[in-house]
Amino acid sequence: MARAAHRGDRMIASALFGTDSARARQRRAAFASGARAATPALMPTAIWGLVAGVAMIKTGLTTWQALAMTLLVYSGSAQMASLPLIAAGAPVWIALLTAGVVNLRFIVFSATLWPYFGRVPLGKRLLLGYLSADIGVAVFIARYASAPAEQRGDLEQRWFFFGIVAATWLSWQPMSIAGILLAGAIPGHWGLEFAAILALIAITVPMFAGRPAIAGCITAGVVAVIAAALPLKLGLLLAVIAGVAVAMGADMLTEHAPGDRAP
Amino acid sequence: MMSSAEIWLTIAGLTVLTIVTRNAFLVLGHKVALPERVQHALRYAPACALIALIVPEVVLQSGTLALGLSNPKLVATVVAVATLLLTRRAVAAIALGMLAYTLIRIL
Repeated sequence: MARAAHRGDRMIASALFGTDSARARQRRAAFASGARAATPALMPTAIWGLVAGVAMIKTGLTTWQALAMTLLVYSGSAQMASLPLIAAGAPVWIALLTAGVVNLRFIVFSATLWPYFGRVPLGKRLLLGYLSADIGVAVFIARYASAPAEQRGDLEQRWFFFGIVAATWLSWQPMSIAGILLAGAIPGHWGLEFAAILALIAITVPMFAGRPAIAGCITAGVVAVIAAALPLKLGLLLAVIAGVAVAMGADMLTEHAPGDRAP
Repeated sequence: MMSSAEIWLTIAGLTVLTIVTRNAFLVLGHKVALPERVQHALRYAPACALIALIVPEVVLQSGTLALGLSNPKLVATVVAVATLLLTRRAVAAIALGMLAYTLIRIL
């Protein structure tokens, strides 16, 4: 039994990392290091997944619809944005437009990732892109933003990123499915939705490193509140654009200031 | 409530949206030349996006700004952030935040 299981592990490992042992070791090390780097965000991701699973059922989706949504859409914020519109019986295109605006930030993220993975073969690039939720991009950038340009997208970075997104997927999906199956047992007055916000906060706070990031985040928060009443969640997009612009400005100001770490 | 067919259509549409938005630049990036400075600035995008998702949820109560102690979400957020900064433990921060949120709503 144990030997068969061990052989199974080895088969999975060689399917995942390849059989050429030196490169396989390199891939495996980068993959493990990516998964480790994502660890602080995994528990919050799992809680956010659980809450999303419960919310889909509480909205009135059937078990199959909710399972399809979590497994295919795989985007907590877009799912949560669409649920009130589904409950209200809004036209489908309004639900899609709203979730689309919430998802526009992913276009910005894909631009962030492009210098690194723009030359990966198309099929793998599509897989990495599809799996690259907020945390994947954030953890990867935190590690490799200052890496030399000629190393961008090398074997180590590709497998590090794959390690992050695989760990994220594995912490999101089982908990989301658990939420779908257990939703009936969780009373609404617990206010579990707020646990999802706390989970997002736990993911975000460690990103507050350096003056540009803090200036950008304050701007994004203020703009998001001011523009919250805009239709189709357009306030979110405005907030991201304003936040990045201010962070960029702060970056240019601090770049040459004495005593500051070079970016 | 949407009909079953409409819900399935929405799920299919959302799936396409995830694929298209997450891959937009990864597939078409070669056609658009992003200046180095913009590429550099984009590292701040994830944090800004998450903050923009969080802050309105915390400080707005049915559309109006609530910055006082009577806003349980705000107090719970302060508790969670303080826990996070002091202990660096996400689970402790979420647990204490939820505890504060629940206690304030009960009291």
